[in-house]
Amino acid sequence: MSEYLDPTAPVAQPRKTARRPSSLDGKVVTLLDISKAKGDHLLDRIEELLRERAKPKAIVRKKKPTFARPAPDTLRQEIVGGTDVLIEALAD
Amino acid sequence: MSLADPELDADLIEELYARGVTDGLPVVVPTRARVDRAVAASGRGHDELVALVPPNWGRATVEKVAVNAVMAGCRPEYLPVVLAAVEAVCDEVFDLHGVSATTNAPAPLVIVNGPLRATLDVNCGAGVFGSGWRANATIGRALRLVCVNVGGARPGEVSMSTLAHPGRYTYCIGEREEASPWESLAVEHGFAPGDSTVAVLAADAPLGVYDARSRTPEDLLATLAASLAVVSHHKMTHWGDTLLVLSPEHVTILGDAGWSKADVRRWLWGRLQRPVRELLPGRDGGEGLPEHVLRKFADPAHDSTPIPKFRSPDNIKIVVAGGTAGRFSAIVPGWTFSKGSALVFRPIRTPQSGGSA
Amino acid sequence: MHDGVFFEDHGIPTATVVSTEFVGAARAQALALGATDYRTVVVPHPIQPLTREEVRVLADKAFDEIVRRLTA
Repeated sequence: MSEYLDPTAPVAQPRKTARRPSSLDGKVVTLLDISKAKGDHLLDRIEELLRERAKPKAIVRKKKPTFARPAPDTLRQEIVGGTDVLIEALAD
Repeated sequence: MSLADPELDADLIEELYARGVTDGLPVVVPTRARVDRAVAASGRGHDELVALVPPNWGRATVEKVAVNAVMAGCRPEYLPVVLAAVEAVCDEVFDLHGVSATTNAPAPLVIVNGPLRATLDVNCGAGVFGSGWRANATIGRALRLVCVNVGGARPGEVSMSTLAHPGRYTYCIGEREEASPWESLAVEHGFAPGDSTVAVLAADAPLGVYDARSRTPEDLLATLAASLAVVSHHKMTHWGDTLLVLSPEHVTILGDAGWSKADVRRWLWGRLQRPVRELLPGRDGGEGLPEHVLRKFADPAHDSTPIPKFRSPDNIKIVVAGGTAGRFSAIVPGWTFSKGSALVFRPIRTPQSGGSA
Repeated sequence: MHDGVFFEDHGIPTATVVSTEFVGAARAQALALGATDYRTVVVPHPIQPLTREEVRVLADKAFDEIVRRLTA
C-alpha cells in the first residue's frame, strides 16, 4: 500500500477521432470562429480557398460567444446537426 | 508510514515534487490518517462529489479535496472553507476553464465573510494579502493544488499564463467586517450576517493606492478612480467585477461623511467614463475600442459619447480589510471582460451549521 | 480543445487551427480528455497583431494541412 494518497483525478476514458471522408466534395463545411482576434480573417480566406479548390455542398459560418469558454450546448448541437466537417480557428 | 520517520517524510516530499503535483514549495505528505482527520472535520462523506473541475473535468470528491488540502498544510477544520471555494470556482459563472488555461494572469482570490473568520483565525487586518496566517496561507494554496491536480491546470502545459502572479501560491483574505460602516460583501449579496461564506474572484495581483492627504469622499474617490481607470489597460471599457479593498482609515472618511456603499459605487462608475474620441486604437497606444463598437459611431474621432470603464456600478465590489493604521487601499482587478468570469459566492457548510445538508 | 474533442466524439471530423505557442497546451488538453490521436493544424505565433493581408498568407500556407486533417 502506498504511503500517501494520490492528489490527482483519474485519467479520462480513451476516445477515437471521427471517420474521415475521402474528400470535401459535396460536404457541408462549418467554419467556427472562436472569437479571438483575427480568427475571422483567417476563416475568411479559408472560405475563399474552399470555394476555389474544393467543391463543398455548402459553407456555414458560426461564432462562439467567447474563446474563454467551451461553445454553449445549443451552438454545439446546431453544428453537429448541420455539418459534415468542421474547421475551428484560432487559438493564439 | 510512521509519522516519526523524518527521512521517509523528506523522501516523499521530493517524490511529490518530482511527480509535478505541488506548487514548488514542500508539501505535507497526505497520509491516510491526515486525510481522514480532514474529511471527518468536514462532516461529509469521503466519496461525496464536490464538483467536476475544469478544464479536465476531474472528479473532486471530498477526499480528493482533502488530500490536496493536507498537502497545502490546512488544519482539518479548514476543509469546509476549501470545499466551498472549490464549489465556487467550478460554478459555470466563474469560468475556471478560461481562468486555468488563459495566457492572462488571473488567480482565484478567496474572500471569507462571517463568523468563521474568527473561529479559524483568517487574517482580515494588518498585512491582509501578506504572509503569517496559516488559514490564509493554506486555504488559497489548497484551492490552487485542486485546480492543478484535479483540474489539470499545470503551468506551462495547459495553463498558458504569460506572467501569472504570486497569488497563484495562495490568494485568500477575510473582510474586516468589524471596521466597516457598511454591510459586508456577503450580506450585500443576500447572505445573513451569521452566515459564513466564500466569494471567489478571478483576479490579477492587488494594486496599491496611496492617499494620505484626502479628507473628503470626493477627494479620496478621485484618487481611487484614477487607479481603477488603468485596470487591464487605460482604454479598456465595459469591464466586469473588480474588487476595491478599502483600509479602515480610508473607509472611515466615506462612512463618517454618510456615504453608503451604493453612493461610492455610483460616484466611481460615473467618474470612470471616457468619450469615444479618447478611446480610439492608435491614440495614446495601439489598444482601444474594438471595431464592432467603433462601427456604431459615424465619426469616432470627434464623438463625445461617454463609454463606461465598468459595465455597471454593481461591478465595483467593495470590502474593508487591512490594518487600522495607514491610508492605503488596494484594487484587485478582475479577469472579467464581457461573457468572461464573475464573482461567485458559496456558503461554508460546517458540521455545526448542518454540513451534510 | 474541448469543442474539437466534443465534435470528434459526435462523428464530425474537425481541424483546429492553433498557433505554435499553443500546440503543447492543445496536446496536453486533448490527452487529458482521452483524445490520444487528436492533432491540430499549426500556424506561426503571433496572429493577433497581424494585418488582414498577413493573416491571408498564413491561411494560404495552412490550407492543404487543414484539408488533410479533415479527409482520409
